[in-house]
Amino acid sequence: MRVSDRLTVWCRRIAVMTRKELLQLFRDIPLMAFLIYSFTLSVYVTGNGIQTQLKNAGLLVSDADRSVSSRELISRFHSPYFRFDGELAHPNEGFVRLDRGGSMMVLDIPTRFHEALVSGESTAVQLLVDTTNSPQGLSAAGYAARIVGQFSQELIMTRNGQTGSSSTTVPMILSDHRVWFNQDQNETWFESISHLLRMITIFAVLLPAAALVREKERGTVEQLLVSPLTPAQIMLPKVVAMTLVILGATAVALFGVMLPVFGVPIRGSVSLLFLLTALFIVATAGIGVFASTVTKNQAQVGMMTLLVVAPMLLLSGIFTPLETMPAWVRYLMALSPLRYFIEIATGILLKGIGLEMLWSQALSMLALGVSLFGFGMWRFRRQFR
Amino acid sequence: MQQHYGPSIHSSSTQSSVLSPQPSDTIVNVSGFVKRYKKHMAVDGIDLEIRKGEIYGLIGPDGAGKSSLMKAIAGVLTYDEGTVEVFGTLVDSERAAERVKERIGFLPQGLGLNLYPDLSVEENIDFFARLRLVPEQQLTERKTRLLAMTRLDKYRDRAMKNLSGGMKQKLGLICTLIHEPELAILDEPTTGVDPVSRRDFWAILAELLLEKGMTALVSTAYMDEASRFHRLSFLSGGKVLASGTPAEVQMLAPGSMVTFEATPQLDAIARLKIRYKQVEALGPLLHVFTDDTDPAAAMQSITSSLGIIKPMQLRVNEPELEDVFVALLLRQGEQPTAIEMPPAAPVTSNGTLAIEAKDLIRDFGTFRAVDRVSFQVKPGEIFGLLGANGAGKTTVIKMLNGIMPPTGGEGWVAGADMKTAGGAIKERIGYMSQAFSLYLDLTVVENIRLFAGIYGLDANATDQRLKWIVSMAGLKGYESSLTGRLPMGVRQRLALGCALVHQPRVLFLDEPTSGVDPIGRRHFWDILSRLAREEGVAILVTTHYMSEAEHCDHLALMYAGRIVAEGSPVDMKRQVEKEAGQLLEVATDQPGPALRRVTQAGFVGAALFGTKLHLLSLDPSQDEARLRTALSSDGVQVQDVLIRPLSLEDVFVYRVLVVERQEQATVKGAAA
Amino acid sequence: MNVRRVAAVAFKEWREVTRDRIFLLLAFCMPAVWMFVFGYGLVLDVEHISFVVVDRDHSSLSRDYLYRFYQSRYFSFQGELADEGEADAWLKSGKARAVIIVPEKFQERLLSGQPANIQTLIDGTFPLRADITKGYTIAINNAYNVDLLADHLARTRGLSRDEALRRTRPLGLEVRYLYNEEVRSTWSTVPALIMFSLMVSSPLLTALGVVREKETGSIYNIYSATVSRMEFLVGKLVPYVMISLINVVVLWLMAVLLFAVPFKGSLLLFFASSILFILTSTGIGLTVSLLVSTQQAALIITVVVSTVPTILFSGLIVPVSSLSQAAQFQAHLFPGMYYTNIVRGTFLKNVGPAVLWPDVLALAVYAAALGAIGYRLFTKRPSV
Repeated sequence: MRVSDRLTVWCRRIAVMTRKELLQLFRDIPLMAFLIYSFTLSVYVTGNGIQTQLKNAGLLVSDADRSVSSRELISRFHSPYFRFDGELAHPNEGFVRLDRGGSMMVLDIPTRFHEALVSGESTAVQLLVDTTNSPQGLSAAGYAARIVGQFSQELIMTRNGQTGSSSTTVPMILSDHRVWFNQDQNETWFESISHLLRMITIFAVLLPAAALVREKERGTVEQLLVSPLTPAQIMLPKVVAMTLVILGATAVALFGVMLPVFGVPIRGSVSLLFLLTALFIVATAGIGVFASTVTKNQAQVGMMTLLVVAPMLLLSGIFTPLETMPAWVRYLMALSPLRYFIEIATGILLKGIGLEMLWSQALSMLALGVSLFGFGMWRFRRQFR
Repeated sequence: MQQHYGPSIHSSSTQSSVLSPQPSDTIVNVSGFVKRYKKHMAVDGIDLEIRKGEIYGLIGPDGAGKSSLMKAIAGVLTYDEGTVEVFGTLVDSERAAERVKERIGFLPQGLGLNLYPDLSVEENIDFFARLRLVPEQQLTERKTRLLAMTRLDKYRDRAMKNLSGGMKQKLGLICTLIHEPELAILDEPTTGVDPVSRRDFWAILAELLLEKGMTALVSTAYMDEASRFHRLSFLSGGKVLASGTPAEVQMLAPGSMVTFEATPQLDAIARLKIRYKQVEALGPLLHVFTDDTDPAAAMQSITSSLGIIKPMQLRVNEPELEDVFVALLLRQGEQPTAIEMPPAAPVTSNGTLAIEAKDLIRDFGTFRAVDRVSFQVKPGEIFGLLGANGAGKTTVIKMLNGIMPPTGGEGWVAGADMKTAGGAIKERIGYMSQAFSLYLDLTVVENIRLFAGIYGLDANATDQRLKWIVSMAGLKGYESSLTGRLPMGVRQRLALGCALVHQPRVLFLDEPTSGVDPIGRRHFWDILSRLAREEGVAILVTTHYMSEAEHCDHLALMYAGRIVAEGSPVDMKRQVEKEAGQLLEVATDQPGPALRRVTQAGFVGAALFGTKLHLLSLDPSQDEARLRTALSSDGVQVQDVLIRPLSLEDVFVYRVLVVERQEQATVKGAAA
Repeated sequence: MNVRRVAAVAFKEWREVTRDRIFLLLAFCMPAVWMFVFGYGLVLDVEHISFVVVDRDHSSLSRDYLYRFYQSRYFSFQGELADEGEADAWLKSGKARAVIIVPEKFQERLLSGQPANIQTLIDGTFPLRADITKGYTIAINNAYNVDLLADHLARTRGLSRDEALRRTRPLGLEVRYLYNEEVRSTWSTVPALIMFSLMVSSPLLTALGVVREKETGSIYNIYSATVSRMEFLVGKLVPYVMISLINVVVLWLMAVLLFAVPFKGSLLLFFASSILFILTSTGIGLTVSLLVSTQQAALIITVVVSTVPTILFSGLIVPVSSLSQAAQFQAHLFPGMYYTNIVRGTFLKNVGPAVLWPDVLALAVYAAALGAIGYRLFTKRPSV
C-alpha cells in the first residue's frame, strides 16, 4: 500500500470509530442531560454563589460604653464583609452564642471607651473570633484590625489638631492598590472559570475511562481486537469524540453563561483558548485511559480515577491559590494538567496573553498527555494476555 | 479441568413414568395475555394452562414472546391485557405477585448470568437458600444431595466464573430449586450448552421434578428437546401456533422425512424445490419433508419428482419435532429455506491452506487449556470444531486470530504466519465471537458502516457491501432499528454480515447460532455454505447443535484441550459404528425407569433421546433380546426396537463418554 | 422486615466486595489517602506571593521599607525592575503576582512630614489571592506607618520613643481566637476532611450496585424472590455502610493521632451522627443507581453529584454563610453541610446535642427521605 493510501485508511478508521463513540454518547439520554446541566446551570449557580473573600461574617457586639465613639466604631463593621447579629446583654453570652454557631465574632467594647479616647489615653477593644474555619477567622480578624487601625489613625490626626485639613502633614504611606485584569475583583469571573475547568476535568477523565471499560465488560472489545485496528486507533477515537463533546459543552458554558451573564471578558484569542482546551482535555483523558487499562469493571475505574481526580481538583490552584500549597504539593501538582491549564485559561481570558507567554504550560500539558497515552497503549494489549 | 458427563440416572424412588403425570389441578392459568413494549407488540393474546406435575414447554422462534410470558407468570413483569393466575392467585400487582413468589423458582435467560461470578458454587447456593429462608439444616441436606446429583460437589469452593458452561447451568438449576418451589420457571436453561451436559441437565431436572412433585415451565431453543415435555405450546409472533402433547403437535404437520443421496445434488435440489418447501443438504445427503405419512407413498413421490436422477440409500423416517415446527412456520408464511448450493464444489485451491495449526499449546498458569492441537482447513471448506464447554475451542480460535499469544506451536492463517504477520492476518479474516460483540446502542446500518470503516473501505465500497449484507442476511426492514432491540437470530446474522464486510478469505465463527431458532439457523447455514461453495471462503466454526455439525465438511472433536476424534461427519459415524456397533432405538411406555433398568443391565452408553432410548450394539439381535427380557421383567412395555442411522449427537456423546471412562480409569490406576 | 433475608443479601454483597481485591483496596484506601494528602497539602495560609519592585527613589528609607517585604514569609522577592513598563510582562506571565512601586522623592517626602504614595499592582485573576495580597501589603504598610509616626512624633514633639509609640496607638485591638487557639489550618481542615472523604467516596461504593445487577440480569433473583423492597435495599447498603464506618474510625484516628487535632466533644454523638451521615451518603449512590440504566451514567452522575457540592457547598473551605442565596439553597440540599457542623462542633467546640440537634435531625430526615425515594423507585415487577 502506498503511504497516502495508508493515511486515508488510518483517517477513515479514526473517523468511523469517532462517529460510533458520538452516537453511543448521544443515545445515553440521562448522561447527556446531566452533561448539559453541568456546563450550564451548575456553572451559573457556582459562579454566582461562591465568595472566597470574607462576606457576611456574623458579628455580635457587647457594648458596655454605649457612647458616640463606640457606636461609630461598630458602624464601621459593615456589609458586605460583616453582618451585624445583634448586641449582647452580657459579655459571657458571647461564648454561648459562638458555641451555637451562626455568628463568628464577638466585639467587646469596654466601659469608659469614649472617655479614654477623648482624654487621649490608650484603650483597647477585644475581639473573640471563632477559628473552627481558620482562614475565615484570620481573614475576619485581619479586616477588624484594618478597621480599628483606620479608626486609630483618624484619631491621631484629630488629636494632632489637624481637624478639617487633610493629612498632608503626617508622614505616612498611603496604600494605592491597583488590581489588574479584574479591577472590580469580580469573583464570578474566576469562580465560573474554575468551575468550568472542574467540570471539564471530571468529564475528560471519566467519559473515556468508562467507555473503554464498558467495551471490556460487554466484550465488544474482542471484535475490535481481531480487526486490524491498532491500540491507538481504538483509544484515540474515544478521546477525540469525548474532546469534541466537551469542547462543545465548554462553548455552551462560555458563550451561553459566562459571557452574557457574568460578563467574563475574552481578552486573548478564542481559537487559541479552544485549541489549548482541546490539548488539556486530551492530556486529562490520558489519566482515564491509563486507569481503564489497569481496572476490570466500572466500579474499579470509578474509584481509581476519583482517587486521582479529587486531589487534582483541590490542589491544582483552581480552588485555592497555588501559593498556599506546601512545596511537596506544588511538585506533585506538576503532574496535574489542570495546574497548567488554569494559568492558560485565566491568561487568555482575563490577561489577554498568547502562546508567547504560555508555551511552557502548553508544553508541559503536551508532555503529560503523551506519556499517559504512551503508557495506556503499552498496557492496552498486555491487559488481555 | 476435569468434567464428568453421562446421562446416568441415579437410583431413586420409582413410581410412575417421567412422562406420565397424573391429571390434576391447574397451577397456572393464562388467558388473553397481551404484552407490549412501547409500540411493539411482544405477546398478542395467549391462553395457557399448566397442570400440576407436568413439564410444560414453550417453543418458538426468537422474539416469539416466550420470555415475556414466563416473566409475567413469575411475577417479575407487568402485562397489558388478560389475566395470569398462579396457584389460584390473580397476579396483577406487585403485592399479588409477592404472595405466590414463595412457591415459584425462576431461572432467567442467559447462561449463568443470574449467578454471582465472584462467589463460589457453595456461596451462590447459600445465598439463594437464605434469601428464601430455607432452614440451615435443610439447606445442608439439600445442598449435599443436589451437589452430588449434579456432580458439582468437587467444585464447591470454585468461583462460579471459573465453571464451564454446563456446570454453570447445573448450578443455576440448583439455585433455582433450592427452596423446593412447587413451580419452576426455566427460561432457555440449555442454550449454549454442549449435548452431553444438556442430557445430564434434563435427567437431573426430570428426577427432581418427579421426586418433589414439582411442576415446570421450560422454554428451549433446541427443538429436539421438545419431546421431553409433557405438553407444550409453540409460539410464533406473540401467538400460539400449536399446543398439546408432543405427539399431538406432531400430528398437526403429518408427513415423513425422506433421506437419500442423489447426484448431481444441485440438479436434484432444483427439481425437489419445485414441489417441496423443506429441502436440506447435509453433506452428500438430502433431507426432504413430505406430507405423505405412508413411507411407500413418500418414497414414490420423491422418486417421481427427481425424474431421471436416481436416489440412493433411500430411507424414510418419522419427522423430528424440529421438522414439524419448520413445516408449521413455513405454512404460516415464513420464507422457505433456500438452498442453491453446489455440494462441496472443489474451489481451485493452489495448494495453499487457509488455516493450518501445528501443535498449538496454551497454558493458563498450570492449567493447559489447549494441548498440541493440529489441523488444516482448505479454502472453501467448512471445518467444525466440536467439544464440550471449556474443551478449549474458543482458545484455539483466539490464538489463530491473534487475540491471544500461544504458549507453543505454530499457525498460519490466510497464508500468513500467526506469530510474525498478525497485522496481515487481521486484514484477511472475519471473526464472530461467542458473546455478541456488536454495539447494542447502534443501529444495524451504523454497525455495518462502522466495521466497513474499520476495515478501510471507501464510501463506494461501503455502500456496495452494505447493500450486499442487508440482502444476504435478510436485514431488510431492520436497517434503522437499534441492534439491542433485534431478535437473537437477526442479531447473529448482522454479526455475520459485519464479519464479512471486508470479504475475508477465512472466517472464524464461535458458536454463531447459540440461541437462534431453527429457521434462523437454517438460513444462517445457507449463507455459510454459499460462502464456502461459491466464494471459496474457509470457515472454522464451533457449535453445540449437532444437527448443524452435519453441514461441515470436516470435524474435529476436542476434549480437555486435545483433539480426540477427527474426520468428515460420515467418517466419524463410520468409526463409531466400527468400534461400538449400530444404534438401537428403543421405544417404551416408561422411558425413565427403562433407562435405569437398561443401565443396570450393563448397557453402558444408553441414553434418553426425547422419549426414546438410544444405545449402541455390536450384536443387535442378541442385545435386542436381552433388552426385552430385562425390561419386561420390570414391567416396562417395549413398543419397538429399531436399528437407526447414527446421528452426530450419538457420535459426540459416545466419544466424550469413552474418553471420560478412560480418564477415570487412569486416575483410578494412578491412585491404586 | 425479615432480618435473615436482609442478612442473606448483605452477606452476598459483602462476599462479592471482598472478592474484588482492587475495589476493596480502593474502598479503604481512598478516604485515608485523601485525608493524608489533603491534611498535609490543603494548607490555607497564603505564603510566597511572588513580587517584583520598582524603586524609583533608591534611598535608604525606600530600601528600609522594601526590606520588610523581602523579610516577610508571605512574600517572595523575584527581582527589581528598572522600569515600570516591565511590570506588565511580569504580571501577565504570572511570574509575579504583585509589583510594588516606590515613587521618586519617597524619602524626601516622608522626612519632611509628608505622606507618600506606594502603588501596588496586583494580579487580580484569582480574587482570593488578590485580596490576601492586598491585606498583607496593608498590614505591612500599617506597621511601617506606626514606626514612621512614632519617629515623627519623637522628633517633632520631643517625646521618648516609647511614649511616641503609645500615642500612635490610641486604640488597640486584642484578638482572642476561640476553639482553634493557635489558628492552625490543619485543625480546621482535618475535621472537615472527614466529611469530604466520606461524602465523596461512599456514594461511589453503592452507585453501581443495582445498575450492574440490572445489566447482568441477576436482579431477577431479587424480583422473583419473596425478599421485600426494603429488605433488598437495606441488605444492599449494609456492607458499604460497614466499610464507611470502618473508614470513619480510621479517619477519626488519623485526625486525632496523626494531625493531633483535639477531640473535645462527645464520641457517642460523633459516631451516632456519622452513621446517619453514612446512610445518607451511601443512600445517594443507591438512589442514582436506581434512576439510571447504564453503569457509565451512574458513575459519572455520582462523581459529579458527590464531588462538586462537597467541595463547594459544604463548608469545607468556603463558609456557607458567604454563599449567595441560590448557592445556600443548594448547600442545604446536600448532607455535607450539616455533617461539617457536627464534625467541627464535636472536634473543636465541645458542643453537644443541645446545639447540634438541628443538624442531626436534618441528616435523619435526609436518610429517611432517601429511603422513601429508594422504596418508590425500586419496583420488583417492572414493565420492561
